[in-house]
Amino acid sequence: MQYTDCALIMGANPAENHPISFRWLTKAKENGGKIVSVDPRYTRTSSMSDIYAPLRSGTDIPFIGGMIKYALDNNLYHKEYVAKYTNASFIVKESYKFEDGLFSGYNADKRSYDKTQWAFEKDAEGNLVKDFSLEHPRSVFQLMKKHYTRYDVDTVVKVTGTPKEDLLNVYKAFCATGQVGKAGTIMYAMGTTQHTVGTQNVRAFAIIQLLLGNIGLPGGGVNAMRGESNVQGSTDFGLLYGNLTGYLNAPTSIDPLNATLAGHLEKETPKTGYWSNKPKFIVSLLKAWYGPNATAANEFAYQYLPKGNKNYSHINLFKAMYDGKLEGAFLFGTNPVVGGPNAGKEKEALSNLKWLVAVDLWETETSAFWQTDAGSNPAKINTEVFLLPACSSYEKEGSISNSARWMQYRWQAIKPLGESKADLEIINELATRIKGLYKNEAGPVAEPINALYWSYGEGHHPDIDLVCKEINGYDVNTGKLIAGFGNLKDDGSTCSGNWIYCGFYPEEGKNRAKNRDKKDTGMSLYLNWSYAWPMNRRILYNRASCDPSGVPYNKEKAVVWYDAVQGKWTGVDVPDFVATRKPGDAGFEDPFIMMNDGVGGVYAPTLNDGPFPEHYEPYESPVQNPFSSQEINPAIQLFDGKFNERGFKADFPIVATTYRVSEHWQSGTMTRNQEWLSELVPHMYIEISEELAKEKGINNKDEVIVSSARGEVKAYAMVTKRFKPHKINGKNVHQIGMPWHFGYKGIATGETANRLTPHIGDANTTIPEYKAFLCDVRKV
Amino acid sequence: MATEYVKFVDVTKCDGCRACMVACKNWNDLPAEPQDFLGSAQSHAKTTADTWNVLQYIEHENSRGGLDYLFRHSACFHCTDAACEKVCPEDAISYTDFGTVVIDHEKCVGCGYCVNNCPFEVISLKEYVDKNGDKYRKANKCTMCTDRLEEGLQPACVTTCHTEAMQFGDKAVMIQKAEERVKQIKDRYPNAMVYNPQGVGGTHTVYVLAEKPSVYGLPENPKVPTSAVVWKDYAQPIGKMMIGATTMAVVGAFITNTIISKKKNGKNENGGDSHE
Repeated sequence: MQYTDCALIMGANPAENHPISFRWLTKAKENGGKIVSVDPRYTRTSSMSDIYAPLRSGTDIPFIGGMIKYALDNNLYHKEYVAKYTNASFIVKESYKFEDGLFSGYNADKRSYDKTQWAFEKDAEGNLVKDFSLEHPRSVFQLMKKHYTRYDVDTVVKVTGTPKEDLLNVYKAFCATGQVGKAGTIMYAMGTTQHTVGTQNVRAFAIIQLLLGNIGLPGGGVNAMRGESNVQGSTDFGLLYGNLTGYLNAPTSIDPLNATLAGHLEKETPKTGYWSNKPKFIVSLLKAWYGPNATAANEFAYQYLPKGNKNYSHINLFKAMYDGKLEGAFLFGTNPVVGGPNAGKEKEALSNLKWLVAVDLWETETSAFWQTDAGSNPAKINTEVFLLPACSSYEKEGSISNSARWMQYRWQAIKPLGESKADLEIINELATRIKGLYKNEAGPVAEPINALYWSYGEGHHPDIDLVCKEINGYDVNTGKLIAGFGNLKDDGSTCSGNWIYCGFYPEEGKNRAKNRDKKDTGMSLYLNWSYAWPMNRRILYNRASCDPSGVPYNKEKAVVWYDAVQGKWTGVDVPDFVATRKPGDAGFEDPFIMMNDGVGGVYAPTLNDGPFPEHYEPYESPVQNPFSSQEINPAIQLFDGKFNERGFKADFPIVATTYRVSEHWQSGTMTRNQEWLSELVPHMYIEISEELAKEKGINNKDEVIVSSARGEVKAYAMVTKRFKPHKINGKNVHQIGMPWHFGYKGIATGETANRLTPHIGDANTTIPEYKAFLCDVRKV
Repeated sequence: MATEYVKFVDVTKCDGCRACMVACKNWNDLPAEPQDFLGSAQSHAKTTADTWNVLQYIEHENSRGGLDYLFRHSACFHCTDAACEKVCPEDAISYTDFGTVVIDHEKCVGCGYCVNNCPFEVISLKEYVDKNGDKYRKANKCTMCTDRLEEGLQPACVTTCHTEAMQFGDKAVMIQKAEERVKQIKDRYPNAMVYNPQGVGGTHTVYVLAEKPSVYGLPENPKVPTSAVVWKDYAQPIGKMMIGATTMAVVGAFITNTIISKKKNGKNENGGDSHE
């Protein structure tokens, strides 16, 4: 980030929520870089930026859609990059259509699309049809141009509420990075993703970054500012409900091909691109999990993998719980009674469980949901709750992965306090005891448990080094560690618990996550500090920092280049492609190794809600969608009834959003139990504009009630100049904001913001729409 | 002789994260003091006996009609001519070789003259109870982590600051850095200035401020009160010779009260803001 010419911060507030990243932005500023902050509220990030532009929550796609149009209209995009390094030249099938907010192939009953209608055109041999002049009317480039014609500045301003001058200032500053040799970066967080169009918000960032040639180079990229220090690590390791580890898809029974391993591999493996190696990763994963019990004869134990037929996202799990369809739950370090959407209903849902195991550092609002203090009647709740005390990070050993994909090892600082145990030990105990219980049983329930290969040493605490080795992978016959995922096999001779990390532990005694060399190996990449997957590359897709012949677009900020004398690629970063390819070799000019076609996806025919981002209003909005008659994202799953009451403008005219503060973390379990952090932000409050406060007769420091269709929350009013009403179509639309950290437990207590938020999620990820909902405010 | 050091605080690099407040409490083992809701992001109205630095948050409409959200790490300035040191009747306050100003709790009798005379209002009294249940008071403030300096460490707040908004080093070097920084940021903050008030002989916490001192509630031109100089350099030595310390405390109270009432009446011999 320190090498950026312009950082566009949108849907994030790094000065408050990711302060360490601001250290590098400060350096960028000193080097002449510009910082742009786009946020409904003037934040501490805004105060440290060169340009600030407000927008109404939920209007990111119009904002960026307008920028896409601006870059195209004013010829500011990186011509060579767009033509050669993106799919802008690809021709799309005639069946692709877009009309009044709907793409072709929409099924209103199922609220889903037939995505085959958006496919690329192929010739008789099955090759993609391309037009590098980008002039073909069905080229991605022309379709994109047409799609965003409607996103002119005046329309954008009417829907976002951004003052025109501010909007144009942002467009001008950021699009200047489309110049060859310049780099712009986008930093986003949950302000981008926690919407019913969250995935498409990020897609909009990807499109503008590809147009400006900003992916794959220092100071470029689309940077997800992670919500926890190890979100990257946990998603890498399969935390997302649709994933196994390493972003391998979990097989579902919805697709009949998944009935066999062969079918699953066929379905999952593209013919081109690096994912064509996928069978090696899947089989090696099965070998890690089932060990000698995974053989070629039994499809490497593939049938032991659960194959569900549902969406197992947070909202759906709690809906199932609410409907009495779940018997029990393990909650590891999660506090949905504070952090979940429509938290009041999530608390109710818990009482339908027969048993609940909570693993946490403290008793939380969730593990105490049945108590009188929580407003419950214990006599009427039959849930048996077990609270297992967990270790904090200082009491255990392991690794975390940051958003730059660095796996950093951390050592134990102190012995666990009291009876607390590391999560790893708790899981090890569970696994070994469950295996013990089923040892002498057979049948479909016992088989997967008996087949599970669990061999991490003797005693209660597993040998973490053995876990590390299994993650990396080894030759199952010799036990020799695998040097990198290029050496994994699909014949059952290798195992790897997470293929993307294969290579972090390449040989005995060399766990590279433990590397701590502070020497700058060039361009501040510090290759010998920790280990970055894949293969210690620090900048993904770094091939794109060079022109097609292999010469860096910016020689002063070069990270890799083709050395004609040596006849190979060299540089200060690990090339993110086959470094031995020479000019003229197949794939020499393809920078996006993980994409099937080798290029960046301006057009994404794989998402559930369309190949181009299109604006739809949030589930609850005070504004009519000016772009089409589709008010909300047509591809989102709707939850209704008592589980999710919906509010409308007449009763709830004010837009609300939630956010975090520096001093508290997530549901506050850790920070609200720490007195020095608690004293810094001791009270639940809302931020409210002077204008709205005046309308409502609210003074600074007054106690107020915020209400939504789902509940009411008491808070203090912080009347501030940093929130201004949005001018939407000539009328004032008010917005308020509030931290979501509070609950009744701990030192700093307050009412829970998430009692107000809705049970509705994104069309692709089902992440809840915490960032835009309707409310009203009144003085107590 | 140790080097004379300065803590250089560049408020334009501060992102308001408040790690300095936590680091201070942690190193100095100070208890939390939760406050009522103050109507802004600020946690404490000002420094107290148990909260030696406070991050100020100021919403300021600047001269160009724009909004600035300003932050300032506020703590003891460690004046070169420190009013607190001048007025202390017990010689409990002294200068160290590092240039820091420290309070000796063995000598402090809790009279509060230093509290009333500090031009920056950063000293506070804390009440303690002894083993007989009797109450007594001592003055408390930021020590610039003098105990860390003695061990070759930097102040805890500086060490924890991640944006380099705080630096600690040789006085001349720090002041030069501050002056250079002001030149760099004049476009963004036309009123930016180095705050190293000469009325107190210069300070060992030197700021680059984004706005005029008054925007931060700081005196434009703080001075050591003449009465304090008279007290320290003339009356106290003579008085201690002639009469007992208790009587001197009464005389001291008279002087202090005179200063306070002058402040309250808004009279000021310098004609500036009433921050003597």
